[in-house]
Amino acid sequence: MAETGHLGLLTYLALATRNLSRNHRRTLITLLTMIFGISTLTLLSALNDGWLNQMKTNFILSYTGHLQIHAKGFEASQNLRDRITEPGEVSRLMQSYPEIIGWTQRIRTSGLASAGAGSAGIQIMATDPEQETWVTSMNQRVKEGGWLRPGMTRDLLLGRIVAQNLGAELGDRVILMAQRLNGEMVSEVFHLHGILETGAPQIDRTLALITLNSAQHWLQMGQTVTDIVIRADIHDNTDVLYRLFTQQLSGLKYEIMPWQELDPMVKQWLEFSDAYGLVILFVVIILVLAEILNTMLISLHERQKELGVIVAIGTKRKQIFLMLLLEAVMLIFLGAILGYLAGSLLVYSLADSGIDLTRFANAFEFFYMDPVIHPQLTRNSAMKILGATLAAALLAGIYPAWKATRLSLSQALRIQ
Amino acid sequence: MPDQTPTSIIKARDLHKCYWVGTMPFPALHGINLDIEPGEFTVLAGRSGSGKSTLLNLIGALESADNGSVEVLGENILAMGRDQRTRFRLQNIGFVFQAYNLIRVFSARENVAYVCQLQGKGRKKSMEIADHWLHEVEIGHLGYRRPDQLSGGQQQRVAVARALASEPKIILADEPTANLDSMTGRRLIHLMQDLNRRLGTTFLISSHDPDVKQAAGRLIKLADGQIVDAWDNIPKPPIAPASACPVENLPLTKRLRNYLREARKKALNKRGHKMNEDQH
Ligand SMILES: Nc1ncnc2c1ncn2[C@@H]1O[C@H](COP(=O)(O)OP(=O)(O)OP(=O)(O)O)[C@@H](O)[C@H]1O
Ligand SMILES: [Mg+2]
Repeated sequence: MAETGHLGLLTYLALATRNLSRNHRRTLITLLTMIFGISTLTLLSALNDGWLNQMKTNFILSYTGHLQIHAKGFEASQNLRDRITEPGEVSRLMQSYPEIIGWTQRIRTSGLASAGAGSAGIQIMATDPEQETWVTSMNQRVKEGGWLRPGMTRDLLLGRIVAQNLGAELGDRVILMAQRLNGEMVSEVFHLHGILETGAPQIDRTLALITLNSAQHWLQMGQTVTDIVIRADIHDNTDVLYRLFTQQLSGLKYEIMPWQELDPMVKQWLEFSDAYGLVILFVVIILVLAEILNTMLISLHERQKELGVIVAIGTKRKQIFLMLLLEAVMLIFLGAILGYLAGSLLVYSLADSGIDLTRFANAFEFFYMDPVIHPQLTRNSAMKILGATLAAALLAGIYPAWKATRLSLSQALRIQ
Repeated sequence: MPDQTPTSIIKARDLHKCYWVGTMPFPALHGINLDIEPGEFTVLAGRSGSGKSTLLNLIGALESADNGSVEVLGENILAMGRDQRTRFRLQNIGFVFQAYNLIRVFSARENVAYVCQLQGKGRKKSMEIADHWLHEVEIGHLGYRRPDQLSGGQQQRVAVARALASEPKIILADEPTANLDSMTGRRLIHLMQDLNRRLGTTFLISSHDPDVKQAAGRLIKLADGQIVDAWDNIPKPPIAPASACPVENLPLTKRLRNYLREARKKALNKRGHKMNEDQH
């Protein structure tokens, strides 16, 4: 006796494609809706990714780098006692990782600056002026004057707002006051060599930048430093480097911090943006799902009699289920692929010129934002869109397919 | 009636079937006894609503009965599960319905081949079988047309070819000529008669078409859900058919049914209680 239950895949495919083209206008409208939805979703998430990425880049390049290595406890205490006593132990590692394109050593401590118009609390940062250019773009953010040069021992750069508050102009004397390792308060006269405008408020409002050598000498730090700051070739390699360094360096002696942890505000903002992206994804997918569900249920309703006959002549419930599921999945995949392609085209056509938000720039300046957003497709968001579409396809396919298996034969067959 | 026909291919005993619309029972069949011999060409006649489709659906293992038994090819089909019935239909019964029998997106030969594929035959083999049967019903040249490119009579021929393609013992046809003009209908009936004679397949056809009745080897008359000898001699059932409809089959959820049962029990208890009190 012949075994039942073998319908070739070809038969299923033929049924699904032909049933979809049977009411081609409806299928087309559904597809257009999906294309519109998915391409909008693609563009929106590309915009989101684009500006998030720009923001990350701006943030990382303005000051923090991708990864910072401190002596254990420094980030919390901000005290020079918690310093890296043997920077050589860390810097030895820098050559071995190709993911690192630059690194620098810094000393950070808080202090006081005074000039003609008054005084202000500041964050003193000392760095190697040459190495720093490999890590951040601070040197390109000099608004007036110039960048530090190695060997400058009595020159400093100030954030734009600090300079403004102090009433300091280029060439003016600025007195910095800070605490040495041993607790002794010392002050020193520097000359204002340049003014920095990074767009990052904490920096512009608080930064006083001097060379590493002068700080080590002035604060009697010897060869020790507080930060070793690393720039990775791409943002995504931060995690790789983080793992490498945590393996190589003792957790008792060092703390290794990726950029996300260095500024809780930025971290929150990024999380918020991710959540925002998910909400958009969710809303679009729900709309698409509703559309597909609607189409499938209408088409199911129209085909009741036919399905009744198909069951009567010996089609199993399982086979009916697969038939209808395949139809929905095909429809949604076609829509998703076309939608994603349309979205990608949109993104590529906008990627170079970007979307110019200069008119609203004031609102964005605060958060390391560029006024021109360049949308960007990332693998991550492509996977998200694909995954969500797949889930939606199954959801939108399963219900009508399940419903079809519950068809009442006595009613379906009496439809004339 | 004692069982004098052990060779029956279809044997129905005391069949009862009610439909429910909400909580209103509609008795469709009550007390059907029927024996059909292999190779018979039987016509089931009766007015609209007399229960022809219901009876055919029960014999065809498409619906379940409230009471009674149906044996087809010696198997008790009412005791089968849903998938088992599906397999039984596929192997043993061919169906022709009144209209819209065919899968609209398939060509004639794909429609016929479909049942062969369901039976597990390969696509190519199924197509060969389909061509053969389309030829048998005299529309071999129309195999590549889709249903909407065929006349009603041609569509019904495709349906007959499909019913035969699975090589069933029985073909059940529910008003196959109702949507055809009388000439076309007559030719379809002749075709079926011819196939019945040549292949020995048992045909059970419902119809109120005089031409069909005339062609019948045997005519079964159905009136108000019962088999009658003459149209004007409808026996009065012992109890009102509607009150014989089993409440258990009410299409309610299990919970609601349980609730109703409990409520009834409670009501009965209360009455009993009261009676007890009265006695004291
Ligand atoms: N799904 C259903 N729900 C409720 N009542 C039904 C249902 N199907 C049939 N009935 C009722 O059962 C009775 C028998 O119906 P059936 O379809 O068997 O009649 P029929 O003899 O085939 O009629 P016709 O010649 O019009 O096809 C009718 O009174 C009908 O109203
Ligand atoms: Mg009927």
